[in-house]
Amino acid sequence: MLVVEGALVYANLLVLLSIGLTLTYITTGVPNFAQGSFAIVGSYAALTFLRLFNLHPYLSIPLVFLVGALLGLLVYLLVLKPLIKREASVVILMIATLALDLILLGFLGAYSGFLEGITHRSAAKFIFTYLDFEVYRISAILFVSTFVILTLLLFLFILLYKTKFGIALRASMENPALAEIMGVNVEYTRLFSWILSGALAAVSGCLLPFRQEIVPGTGPIIIVSIFAASIVGGLGNIYGALLGGYVIGISESLVTYYLSSIFGARVLVYGKAFSLIVLIVTLLVAPKGLVSINWRKVLRRRVLRWA
Amino acid sequence: MGLEYIAVNIALWFGLYLIVTLSLNLEYGFGGIPNFGKAFAVLIGAFAVGGIINRLLIYFLGISGQIIEASSHSKTIVNSLIASNPVIGLSLLIGSILLAFIFGCLTGALFILPSAKLREDYLAITLLAISEVTYLICYYNIDLIGGYYGVSVPDVFAFVPGELRVFVFAITIIFTSFLIYLLLNKLLISPYGRLLKAIRENEDVVKAYGKNVMLIKIKTVSLGSGLAAIAGALYSLYSVNVISSSFTRVEWTFYPFLMILLGGAGNNKGIILGTLIFVVVKILLTMYKFEISSLLNLPFEAVWLEYIMFGVVMLIILFYRPEGILKETPIITKPIKEVVKRRELRKR
Repeated sequence: MLVVEGALVYANLLVLLSIGLTLTYITTGVPNFAQGSFAIVGSYAALTFLRLFNLHPYLSIPLVFLVGALLGLLVYLLVLKPLIKREASVVILMIATLALDLILLGFLGAYSGFLEGITHRSAAKFIFTYLDFEVYRISAILFVSTFVILTLLLFLFILLYKTKFGIALRASMENPALAEIMGVNVEYTRLFSWILSGALAAVSGCLLPFRQEIVPGTGPIIIVSIFAASIVGGLGNIYGALLGGYVIGISESLVTYYLSSIFGARVLVYGKAFSLIVLIVTLLVAPKGLVSINWRKVLRRRVLRWA
Repeated sequence: MGLEYIAVNIALWFGLYLIVTLSLNLEYGFGGIPNFGKAFAVLIGAFAVGGIINRLLIYFLGISGQIIEASSHSKTIVNSLIASNPVIGLSLLIGSILLAFIFGCLTGALFILPSAKLREDYLAITLLAISEVTYLICYYNIDLIGGYYGVSVPDVFAFVPGELRVFVFAITIIFTSFLIYLLLNKLLISPYGRLLKAIRENEDVVKAYGKNVMLIKIKTVSLGSGLAAIAGALYSLYSVNVISSSFTRVEWTFYPFLMILLGGAGNNKGIILGTLIFVVVKILLTMYKFEISSLLNLPFEAVWLEYIMFGVVMLIILFYRPEGILKETPIITKPIKEVVKRRELRKR
């Protein structure tokens, strides 16, 4: 039960990250290599609220959301926008996000030292699991992360399908040039996607310490899982991110747990290797991701072969 | 810490990084393949020395036990052998370089195989993911190359007196990187170099002329990985141990990209300049790390400041001079030279 619980929580958090990654990929056309570090910024924001104001991480979610939104805003305005204006190629934009990842890593490392200096408690390595409690014998983190996901989906659904801004957003995702001709300001949609992506990543990072230990360098490691989730689902599709996040999150935890019960605990480090294998198989079989597969066609072919 | 110590350190790291940046320039500067997994190839080179050469030595010396203890045992025996017979040391050095190159070429081809057909963004993600996962496995699995404990490697220059060793190594590394520079210059002036540039500019046109773009990409990354693996092998031989934590993404993927973009992608002379500038700055920063952090009264380790600084430098380059200090120049082949000469003669 505990394993399934952990797998679901991890999958929920991965979905938050991969939705953010996919959003910015759709609008800006660049895979954000700093998405993992965005999350860790959220973790450290939550740690700061906990240590300085004694605020439980569950209660600081709205504040962390704002911190992440601010980070996304700054990143877009200071890094991406000037480069897009100079008509930089995708590779240049990718290198810029790689540089951003390094800058964030440096800031987080420096900040952890600074925080240690103020609070006189270790901040280079931390975990929140001791803060969690149980509701009906299930840990609260499962409820909280699921609640966050449901709220997010409801918000996204209303935004994308019930408002004028959402229509503009979807139009500029499908065809930016055409949307611009029709009078949509693509600039706003890009800005919005970065703000939302940063905020979601930070919320995910706020909850991540309930499941694993956080160090400043955690971001560059979890990025493998985030990319795997987004690509397995389909990098150009938000539903793909949702699907891929659950596929990778659940399988990464459950498969490594299952393997470790056969081969011993040393297999646990291969969790990321499993994500990589799923990623490579997806790229070979269906490079556009799971959502691009026409399941009806696949089934029909199978039925025909049967008959 | 004398001045000659700083100079030899700079020479050593310049040579090591130059091998990596030249190989990355072949892939990214010429071929346009964003190899975000460059660290993978360097790690493979270290693996060839720490994992394969070590196991061979342990096997031939008949030592039993775990790789970590067995390697330190074999190191002591081999070191005393080399001290009495320099030929063993030199053949071990050349053998390591050759093995790293071959092993690097093979794994490099496998490394790009799943993603060679993909667009540049998918390609970059896959290469980064493979490199990162390989790093994690080598770090956590202590049976491969000792994980976070590391394995020992024999000193191939055990016959050289202790204080001269670093100089001999610096000369060896600089010499190797110079050979690779000459080789790549020769290679890139050939039709292959122009083909690579054509692929970078427009894949479809190259395809329309009947070239197999995927195969050329695989060959390029294979060669690039083989060359970068040599750097990994030399680094391991120099530091007489292999610890996988020294082959991080920052040090061997991000920094090489920074050097290339600083010097000028697609221009091997620019690469030399970029690498030299970077290495001088980095070595001086590492040398005066404690002075800097006490001067600025930093409440944290100086390495974080280094990350922030190099990240910001990269962004500044991308903003203001993405073509680098030395711009890319057209490839001037012999026939072109003759045409230019004839035209000048006609003008007179």
